[in-house]
Amino acid sequence: MRLSELWRTTPFRLTLVNGAVFAGGVMALLGLIYWQTAGYMACQMDIIVVAEAHALVQGDPQDLPDRVRRAVAVDERAVEYYGLFSPQGAWIAGNVRRLPARAQIDGEPREFRQEGFQPGARALVQRLPDGELLFVGHDAKVLTGLRAIMVRALMISGAAIIVLGLVAAAVLSFAPLRRIETLREASREALKGKLGVRLPVSRRADEIDMLAGVANAMMDETERLLWEVKSVGDNVAHDLRTPLTRLRAQLYRVQQEARLDGADREMIDRALAETDGLLARFRALLRIGEIERRDRQACFGAVRLQTVLEHVRELHEPSAEDRGVTLETDIAADAPEVSADATLLFEAVSNLVDNALKFTPAGGAVRLRLLNRPAGPRIEVVDDGPGVPEGEREAVLKRFYRSQRTRTEPGSGLGLSIVTAIARLHHFRLALEDARPGLRVALDCWPRGLEA
Amino acid sequence: MNADAMPTVLTIEDDETTAREIVAELERSGFSVEWVADGRQGLIRAVSGDFDAITLDRMLPRLDGLTIVTVMRNAGIATPVLMISALSDVDERVRGLRAGGDDYMTKPFASEELSARLEVLMRRRNGAPRQTAVLAVADLEIDLISRSVRRAGAEVRLMPTEFKLLEFMMRNSGQVLTRTMIFEAIWGYHFDPGTNLIDVHLGRLRKKVDTPGLPVLIHTVRGSGYALRAPE
Repeated sequence: MRLSELWRTTPFRLTLVNGAVFAGGVMALLGLIYWQTAGYMACQMDIIVVAEAHALVQGDPQDLPDRVRRAVAVDERAVEYYGLFSPQGAWIAGNVRRLPARAQIDGEPREFRQEGFQPGARALVQRLPDGELLFVGHDAKVLTGLRAIMVRALMISGAAIIVLGLVAAAVLSFAPLRRIETLREASREALKGKLGVRLPVSRRADEIDMLAGVANAMMDETERLLWEVKSVGDNVAHDLRTPLTRLRAQLYRVQQEARLDGADREMIDRALAETDGLLARFRALLRIGEIERRDRQACFGAVRLQTVLEHVRELHEPSAEDRGVTLETDIAADAPEVSADATLLFEAVSNLVDNALKFTPAGGAVRLRLLNRPAGPRIEVVDDGPGVPEGEREAVLKRFYRSQRTRTEPGSGLGLSIVTAIARLHHFRLALEDARPGLRVALDCWPRGLEA
Repeated sequence: MNADAMPTVLTIEDDETTAREIVAELERSGFSVEWVADGRQGLIRAVSGDFDAITLDRMLPRLDGLTIVTVMRNAGIATPVLMISALSDVDERVRGLRAGGDDYMTKPFASEELSARLEVLMRRRNGAPRQTAVLAVADLEIDLISRSVRRAGAEVRLMPTEFKLLEFMMRNSGQVLTRTMIFEAIWGYHFDPGTNLIDVHLGRLRKKVDTPGLPVLIHTVRGSGYALRAPE
């Protein structure tokens, strides 16, 4: 299981989105609390400032500077600010030495920005009956402290949300991912053609189980159809093959027992040969079905292609010679062994050579080659024949297809279909190429990747 | 198992039509046949050891063909068994032979193929194991060690495949050998090689062995295959 797979899962993403929304909510909540608190504290400070100013103004105006000085001395928290100024603005008493510029002198508390004061501080400036100016301010130290707490809380909780969210997302996606992995494992088996494979369904009946259930139903149906087709094919072939065999047995008996002369005898011989041809075609058809249905790769082993090709040459050389065609072999001794079914590979190559010999005119040559390609060994059968036009190359691999120019040749038209079925069973690639002149049939003996 | 009397064959086959065909063909070829349709009954008869050969259907009701042959072999019954099956897959063949079958045929088959195979099986079983280095039929002699062939005293040069072919025919001289049997024996693959490949091989061998002027040893058996036998 890769990390990149983990963070692509739905639970992971959902958890992250969830975490982000939650973090946003926390931020909004803290912001709201701060905003409300700041408003409330501004109100409180305003009340304090107005009350202070009011208290100072009470009593003898002569003692006002003293009262201001006393008020400064009494304020141990150092949050109160006082200043008494002459009508011209000159300092008389208090811990504020200069009247802030552009201060509105109306006795109304306002936010007060000046160096040395925390943001959010409130103050008022009031003209006294004798023209002197009184400044009373309240610094917002508490508010600043609160703000610091909020920011810290936001940072800590944010970090915690991120970490916890990631952990939760990973944990939540791990289990589904493991289940997906087992599903993928099972489907890989099914893709390889193994029958009876089903995806595991848990008792949770969640969305993964629902999908697995649908996939299983599809597999059931495919398998049922497969068996149906198989049994239909088998039955048809079997039903026709058995009477054909009986027909052949009777013809054979006539041939062996009846005392026939010249023309009659020849007729029986011809009928017998025709029946043999029909039976061969049925056998080929059933054989293709058998190869295609085979429980794949059950009897695979290490196959030395050099030996297989050598056997094919031995089998076909005399008939090549009879046709006046040279059968050349060019076999790379260093080509590695492949995992395959030796009999089927022999059958495939034998069919290819048989075809090539059929379509090569006398005096021509058929080359059977084993090449050692970087990806693996490649078997090539090259002939001097008319070749196959590009448009027909796909079609000749299909059952019963026979090119216009080859209809006169004997054969069932099933040879290449058998080769195709064998190549497919092995996951080998079968390619028809132009050999200029002639046809080159190549069988790449390395499995094409089966991507899940 | 007396050599003079008609050889007896036990046919274990549940399908009546097939059984009738087998019996007809075997009787025509000079066998005396006993037919048993049931697997269990078949096993009892097989273990009696009264037969020269057995044809055994792979799929039987009650008792499977594979089981019968396994039980027989475990009981020390060496009667040659030709297994007949509708399953032509290679693994099936391997399983049949591994269980103790001597040969394996797929349904439907040409009837002469059946008797030809049975004859070869019985000969292999009855005849003394040939450990001789030289096989001879009439004036044809082959030396298995030096891999040389002489016909009427003159050396015949054969290609390796031709030698294998001749050796197989000499070992089974007098028997009808079908093309399928020859292909299976020489190349060791089990499928239908099609066309007339085997005929061509036989033709070449014949050209070298049966040179003009000498009596013919390799005979074509019409409709069946080939036989190598000494002139009468």
